[in-house]
Amino acid sequence: MAGMCCGVNMGETETASPVEPSSMSARKRRMEIHQFNFVPSDSTVVPPLAGLKRQKIEVVVEEKPKGSELARIPDGGEKKKSAPPRGFVREFPKFGMTSVCGRRRDMEDSVAIHPSFLSRDNDFPSGFHFFGVYDGHGCSHVSTKCKERMHEIVKAEVESAGGVVPWERTLSRSFLKMDKEVKDWCGAGVACASTSTCRCELRTPQCEAVGSTAVVAVLTPDKIVVSNCGDSRAVLCRNGVAIPLSTDHKPDRPDELSRIQESGGRVIFWDGPRVFGVLAMSRAIGDTYLKPYVTSEPEVTVTARTEEDECLILASDGLWDVVSNETACGVARMCLQSRKPPPPRSPGHDVTVTAAGESSDKACSDASILLTKLALARHSQDNVSVVVVDLRKGRPN
Amino acid sequence: MESSDKGYSDLSFFRDWMKIQEEDLLELHQALELNADGGDHTVELKRLAEKNIAHFQEYATTRRRLARDDVSSFFSPSWCSSFEGSMLWVGGCRPSIFIRLVYALSGKEFESNLREYLQGRRIGGGLGDLSANQIRLINGLHLKTVGLEDKLSSKLASLQEDMADEPIASIAQESRGHGPPSRAVNEALSTHDDSMVNLMEEADNLRLCTMKELISILTPFQAVAFLAGGKKLHLCLHEWGVLRDHEHGRHWRMSGN
Repeated sequence: MAGMCCGVNMGETETASPVEPSSMSARKRRMEIHQFNFVPSDSTVVPPLAGLKRQKIEVVVEEKPKGSELARIPDGGEKKKSAPPRGFVREFPKFGMTSVCGRRRDMEDSVAIHPSFLSRDNDFPSGFHFFGVYDGHGCSHVSTKCKERMHEIVKAEVESAGGVVPWERTLSRSFLKMDKEVKDWCGAGVACASTSTCRCELRTPQCEAVGSTAVVAVLTPDKIVVSNCGDSRAVLCRNGVAIPLSTDHKPDRPDELSRIQESGGRVIFWDGPRVFGVLAMSRAIGDTYLKPYVTSEPEVTVTARTEEDECLILASDGLWDVVSNETACGVARMCLQSRKPPPPRSPGHDVTVTAAGESSDKACSDASILLTKLALARHSQDNVSVVVVDLRKGRPN
Repeated sequence: MESSDKGYSDLSFFRDWMKIQEEDLLELHQALELNADGGDHTVELKRLAEKNIAHFQEYATTRRRLARDDVSSFFSPSWCSSFEGSMLWVGGCRPSIFIRLVYALSGKEFESNLREYLQGRRIGGGLGDLSANQIRLINGLHLKTVGLEDKLSSKLASLQEDMADEPIASIAQESRGHGPPSRAVNEALSTHDDSMVNLMEEADNLRLCTMKELISILTPFQAVAFLAGGKKLHLCLHEWGVLRDHEHGRHWRMSGN
């Protein structure tokens, strides 16, 4: 049975030598595929190898040994004290992303995607990938700041945690740090308001009424860690079933309502439940004036990845207001399945395989576009941002 | 009264324009029907879209010339129904509505063919079939257009506020009795008119540029469908507005002509 896996050669040199030469002696081809053919202007997608204008990814197609779920690919030539764990794939995530202003006049959503965002050393030999969707309110500068900084803060926290990462604590600390940065920055921003290009021009007190949701997913080879504040959402599609990996922080959620009331706050119905009749979510980055009733403490879920995982969808409420988790999963799933890469054929058909490699990323991009179009078709009144990550591990076709 | 020679020329200009709109719409619809035969009509569709753009260009050029005489009539046109008049932005439509119209037309077509799209099939290559790249470009155009629109809205706000400031405000305070406006009044209002003409030119330019850029993003078939959708909307809004005016006992000037 032929299997396929994708990997990034992260080393400085191209002279990669297999960890287990015997397993690599099977048919092997290398392909170069162009990626990121779709990068909306309001979002960042940073290739893992900074400095290269055109990112090339190596895709290794090989005959997979029977009984082995994962194929191995060569270490990229970095000096290592120890080899990565056996049966471990340096997997490059396949993803697609769309972020549009939609029917609003202001764009306040931001998306950040950082494949392999950790330093590559002993503790983190392989791809840990970062995906974040931030939906701002009041102005765009908090969501923009989250896009610029959150992954760096998470990176620093994860790296300082060392080998076994206590994810919940690490991401909680990251979110609180992000919140503090936004607060400090806004405070300092008053002095340099003239340099700001955002609507509120960082003037206090307007600046204190600005915030953002944050839904962050850190994808590791065996886990999906989701940290959430606000009403953006992460949904896992596993064997056709939609599993929400975050729960929206709405002020009328019973536990959130109690938390707000216990801290002395009130939830008032004014065009839906709102904290003090103002903010329609109970947790957010920013919103200094509503602290501590609106907190930036996230809820973190850690989910073990399984062979049945198909894709992960992160999106702002511009999607979730009009499309259910189930429908979104159904759309993404059909999209990935109908564009399933053809099985690798006999050697010498590299062109076909290259096309297959491209079509997989294209499938995610198609899924994110289709979901965005569906949200617009269903009259979503908000900005719409959708990230779709393919979680299928090179399974035999 | 408005029955001056110039008033009639503005009016006949508008009447001619609406007639062109109707003729263009008919031609656009015929082209869309023709396209259903499955043949390649790219060249014809492209030519037709260009012809429509040229009509918009001519319309803008002519009204720029007419506005130099009487700009107010374009900001508050007597030939529009009250409903249309109340929705005007600097003498016309907001350019950002082109994008909203694309989303509306695209969304309608998209949902009715959802299953086919999910299976990766392309259905007719119409507005429901916008590609990832087209969506990205349209979104970019949207953000740019809203920004430019807001700048012009701000200029319009300044012009409106200028009414209550020097020199117009003091001239009004010093004005005595009735009779024809003094030279000072004419000069002040004429200066104000010049600013309005410039603003309308800028707005017309933005409308045209947005339209042209949008057409360049769309395929010729999508462009023709969009232009047809836009004209149909314009003509309907006009007709509905006139009927509503009648219902409210407002006699509309164009009727009976």
